[in-house]
Amino acid sequence: MTPASNARRAAQSLLLVGLFASLLMALAIDTTCAQGPFGVGAAGSPHPPSGIAGWVLAKQAEYYRALGAMIRAAKADGSAAVGLLGLSFAYGIFHAAGPGHGKAVISSYLVANEETWRRGVVLSFAAALIQALIAIIIVAIAAALIGATAKMMGDTVRVIETVSYLLIMALGARLLWVKGNGFAAALRETFAPTVALRAAGAAVALEASPLSPAHRHGDDSHHHHDPYDHGDHDHGDAHHDHDGACDHAHGPEPQTLGGRGGWARGLSAIVAVGLRPCSGAILVLVFALAQGLFPLGVAATLVMGLGTAITVAAIATFAVFAKGIAQRMAHQRAGYGTLLMRGLECAAAAAVLGFGGLLLAGYMASERLFAV
Amino acid sequence: MIDRFVKSLCLALAACLAFAWFGLGPAWAHPHVWVTSKSEVVYGPDGSVTGVRHAWTFDDMFSTFALQGIQPKQKGVFSREELAPLAEVNVTSLKEFDYFTHAKADGKKATFTDPVDYWLDYRDNVLTLHFTLPLKVPVKAKTLALELYDPTFFVDFSFADKEPVALAGAPANCKVNVQRPAATAPPAGQQLGEAFFNTLTSSSNFGAQFANAAMVMCP
Repeated sequence: MTPASNARRAAQSLLLVGLFASLLMALAIDTTCAQGPFGVGAAGSPHPPSGIAGWVLAKQAEYYRALGAMIRAAKADGSAAVGLLGLSFAYGIFHAAGPGHGKAVISSYLVANEETWRRGVVLSFAAALIQALIAIIIVAIAAALIGATAKMMGDTVRVIETVSYLLIMALGARLLWVKGNGFAAALRETFAPTVALRAAGAAVALEASPLSPAHRHGDDSHHHHDPYDHGDHDHGDAHHDHDGACDHAHGPEPQTLGGRGGWARGLSAIVAVGLRPCSGAILVLVFALAQGLFPLGVAATLVMGLGTAITVAAIATFAVFAKGIAQRMAHQRAGYGTLLMRGLECAAAAAVLGFGGLLLAGYMASERLFAV
Repeated sequence: MIDRFVKSLCLALAACLAFAWFGLGPAWAHPHVWVTSKSEVVYGPDGSVTGVRHAWTFDDMFSTFALQGIQPKQKGVFSREELAPLAEVNVTSLKEFDYFTHAKADGKKATFTDPVDYWLDYRDNVLTLHFTLPLKVPVKAKTLALELYDPTFFVDFSFADKEPVALAGAPANCKVNVQRPAATAPPAGQQLGEAFFNTLTSSSNFGAQFANAAMVMCP
């Protein structure tokens, strides 16, 4: 059994474990929380969050209710539009603290990848923009053009939501696969440094003459001539590298993620996160449409998205800096430091997958378009 | 050995992260729908409770949203018939949430069946959903606790200012007490007996809770 196939199997089982874990979590939560208020007595009763969480919630609710009043006011008096936009901005900032705006997914994604805070900010704004645009497009097409009912819109949103959550899971699974391999590689290097060094040596040798027949011949003859030489090891390691080429290509190299291809990957993240429209935005848009003020609703939604982006970007930046600090601390512990960082990335990748699973199972998205 | 180590470490970390997050998750939604409720506890001729009749008035933003795509014959006026399909959708969707209505008769939970007599009316820019929740088995109870809440906070329920919970056809000795969410103090001059707190579906620290509760006592 070569270390390479070991690592590969480790990565594979990791992926499975990740999937399984998200499923398990969903199930565990199902039995504890979603049993229905009758079955659980006290647990089913709501405890309103207190402290900062409660304050943020109260502010959101306050602003949200004021939005409706403000749209009505804008109908009678155009100058209320300015107030509406200001309110939408404030609402967006507070609202992003709630579920469904991708701060968890984006932050985990950034931690899993070697992303800069700058890119985190760009991703946050892009995701928020897409989210706002999706809400606008849905209401524009469904309500304004074809006169769809609220139920039809709700059903549309649900389909989009499901796609979005599946995409998040796919993103997480892919990250977990890559980062699991990276983590496995780090483990190999930490616990079997000599093997790793030889592997590196073998890789260089391979690069010089990538598995040419001549190379194999040489290897073979070498093998024959001196069975006690390290040729045996070299042979195994060459195999290792061949097997593990995938590991190495996707492994701990930050450049591969931060580089040119990184933007394409970032795009998949913002689409996965931004696809799901915010139900509050849809309600505001429909309300504005009913008042004959659709353009104002569109403006409010975009400004709301701007507010959301600021909060998400702040959280994402925090996550990136936190990781940076962890990284600096890790560097002071040679050997295990790298392992720790790879483990962290691996966990963040698993978290993206887990979030996707939880969202899909319906345990994190509490912003349903109720009763329509 | 390494495999196992990788697996368990990743699993543990992922689980911690997800659970930590989940703890914050659902409770962080703010209400998107506001409902003002007026309810009636319905009694049968023999003095047993047969069900609960609700009249829920939605806020105007949600009302407008719900009415989207429904074309009335006369602009701005929706007849009961025109709103019938929407009422159907409403009560069907509410089933999943147990109609947000939780009852205990003498400390034992009471189960409701599917709603009957449901309809919507539209007045002053808002929709009101009327429906009756029959009890699976009518009960004669000394105390009946009724609570109205959405555990996910998506819907913000509040009792109507005047007579939020009435008794329909109750024996003469029955009385109803109403408790509003913690933010609102109990109505002046209304003392809540110990029985009130003991029989609520939510056990302890009721004062801190976010539910609208009514207690019907027929000693």
